[in-house]
Amino acid sequence: MRNILIIDDEDDIREVAALSLEATAGWHITTASSGADGIRAAADARPHAILMDVMMPGMDGPTTFRQMQQDPQIAGIPVLLLTAKVQGVDQRRFADLGVAGVLFKPFDPLKLADQICQTLGWADESLI
Amino acid sequence: MTAHPPILLLLLLVSVFLLGLHTLRQSSRTRGLRQELDRLREELIRSRELAEQQKAKLAQRSSLDNVKDEFISTVSHELRTPLTSIRGALGLLTSGMLGEIDPKAQNLLRIAAANTERLIRLINDILDLERMESGNAPLQLRRCSILELAREAIDAITPMGDDAGIRLELNSSAPRDAIYFDADPDRIVQVLTNLLSNAIKFSPAGSTVSVQVHSDVNSLLLKVVDQGRGIPADKLEAVFDRFLQVESADSSRKGGTGLGLAICRSIVHQHGGAIWAQPNHGGPGTTLWVQLSRSARSSDRTSAAPAAIASAERGEGLVLVCDDDPGIRVVVAEQLRQHGYDILEAGSGQEALSVAREQTARAAGLRSDAGLPTQPIAAILMDLYMPDLNGWEALEKLRDSPATASIPVIVLSVSPPTERVLPKGAAQGWVQKPFNESLLLAELQRVLHAAGGAGQVLVVEQDVEIAGALVTSLNGSGVRAAHVGTLQQAVDRCMMGAPDLLVLDTALPDGDGLSLVDWMRHQPVLSTLPLIVYSGRTLSESEMQRLRAGPAQILDKARVRPKQVADLVLMLVQHRPDTAAVA
Repeated sequence: MRNILIIDDEDDIREVAALSLEATAGWHITTASSGADGIRAAADARPHAILMDVMMPGMDGPTTFRQMQQDPQIAGIPVLLLTAKVQGVDQRRFADLGVAGVLFKPFDPLKLADQICQTLGWADESLI
Repeated sequence: MTAHPPILLLLLLVSVFLLGLHTLRQSSRTRGLRQELDRLREELIRSRELAEQQKAKLAQRSSLDNVKDEFISTVSHELRTPLTSIRGALGLLTSGMLGEIDPKAQNLLRIAAANTERLIRLINDILDLERMESGNAPLQLRRCSILELAREAIDAITPMGDDAGIRLELNSSAPRDAIYFDADPDRIVQVLTNLLSNAIKFSPAGSTVSVQVHSDVNSLLLKVVDQGRGIPADKLEAVFDRFLQVESADSSRKGGTGLGLAICRSIVHQHGGAIWAQPNHGGPGTTLWVQLSRSARSSDRTSAAPAAIASAERGEGLVLVCDDDPGIRVVVAEQLRQHGYDILEAGSGQEALSVAREQTARAAGLRSDAGLPTQPIAAILMDLYMPDLNGWEALEKLRDSPATASIPVIVLSVSPPTERVLPKGAAQGWVQKPFNESLLLAELQRVLHAAGGAGQVLVVEQDVEIAGALVTSLNGSGVRAAHVGTLQQAVDRCMMGAPDLLVLDTALPDGDGLSLVDWMRHQPVLSTLPLIVYSGRTLSESEMQRLRAGPAQILDKARVRPKQVADLVLMLVQHRPDTAAVA
């Protein structure tokens, strides 16, 4: 079973995304509500992938990602940014960071797990 | 002396009286002048104030634009965040994954979910349009095949078509090498999917929506044809406006955002193309036309020009082609002939001089030679490197002779214009060899139009006899007139260079002439082109209104003879300020 960490400052989005991944893919979900908490949670839970919001107060997604890369324990975990920004400039900037992928809000709750699998090349997941 | 004191006194009195009168008149004139001066001064001050206000307003607007862009971008982001939760929650609930739901509640959830989707599309569309119109979405141009993009769009929209029971088909009459153009493929696919999804939405189940691709010398034409309920004539243009739907209930029923066609228009305009809607000929439904420029790469332009252009009436002008290489002369002459030019050739600088002088004499009626044209030379294409008298020397001699000094010259040379600087005024244009046809034609058009002359009139007319009468009459009066017989040719001609005036028939083999007007009014260069609609049928009130959106005269074929049309054309063309200045 996959273990996924969701980092988002919006409680509602965390809950919906977690429910969606649990219900559609049966994954085990851990959540964190800030970049700093996210780094700690990543080190503790060692998830298979991290789904992280871009715009967060305090430390934003890209900054959190860069800090994660400094930590050899979690640097190898693929990170997917989840953003409500759709401007091409932003998308390119995110891609240049070296993240595994960028997904967009509002996401389709029934397809979110599928999108994650596609982006990460997880072909063997049994989805509902 | 004292004998005539009364006379002297009288004279004195008269003088004083006259002086008084003069002073009075003078002072009243001075007063008048002063008042006039004051008025002018006030006007000047007022106009300066206005200019300042205008400038301030402009500055304010541009900063407002920035604020608006920023605002829209922020709002879209801020709206997306709560929508993410709503969409997620509703999506999971309606999926039934979390347990059975009462059918009534299920229906309400479905409504909420569908409208959430609509709101998301709306936000995306607003942001999209905003980015394009503020120039924040530059095109990523590359060489594309219109057929591939059309296939891609059809593939993407097929599920929607299947759901609605509508068949999608793709036809192309374009030769295989005439389908390439420079475009941002994602954007063009966006246009096509948008047009297709519209066509599907407004079509009855069981009908067909077809995409047709045609190509011409300069352009690609793509049509999306549906058999739907059609667009009323007075809405054909307005459908491209934001938030306009033909029936008020459309937007909620069809789930559209009301921005789709506005976005399409924005994208097509960004590509330098045109888009317009037209009712189908003799049947229900609508055709959406998209016209885009073909790739200018010579490797993409190998297919010969269609015969339609070659058969167009002569009348573009007489061009003298001077090059010592007979091969180049033949190629250039052939290309120009296909586009309606008449040609004279010269193999050396010396020959060019004598041919030009003779032709000037012939045009002035001082000389006649059987089989040779009698019109003046409109332009000279001149090679620079030639044995004996080379191009530079020939240019100098042309300029020295009053008979040839005013003929515009385009240099045809292997060197770029920056490398070989010519004396000022020696040549009006430059085409570097090896050149492609469209470059040469464009430069020739540019030079001919810059030269002013008595204007260029394009006659779009199906009836060759009427067209012939018009063109002959106009050419005879020194106005260059060209004739085309179809909408497509008219569009091509206009794309090659804007005429000064258009005479337009309504009944054309490939559609109604008025659709050309709709297209024209969307082209920056053509939007103010004066127009004479010479129609064989009575126009409806809404058609008249459409025409009156720009400078247009409407003449009835049954009542007005071609000669009278020509007279009107002459009057209009000769009253154009720029041609008047030249004359």
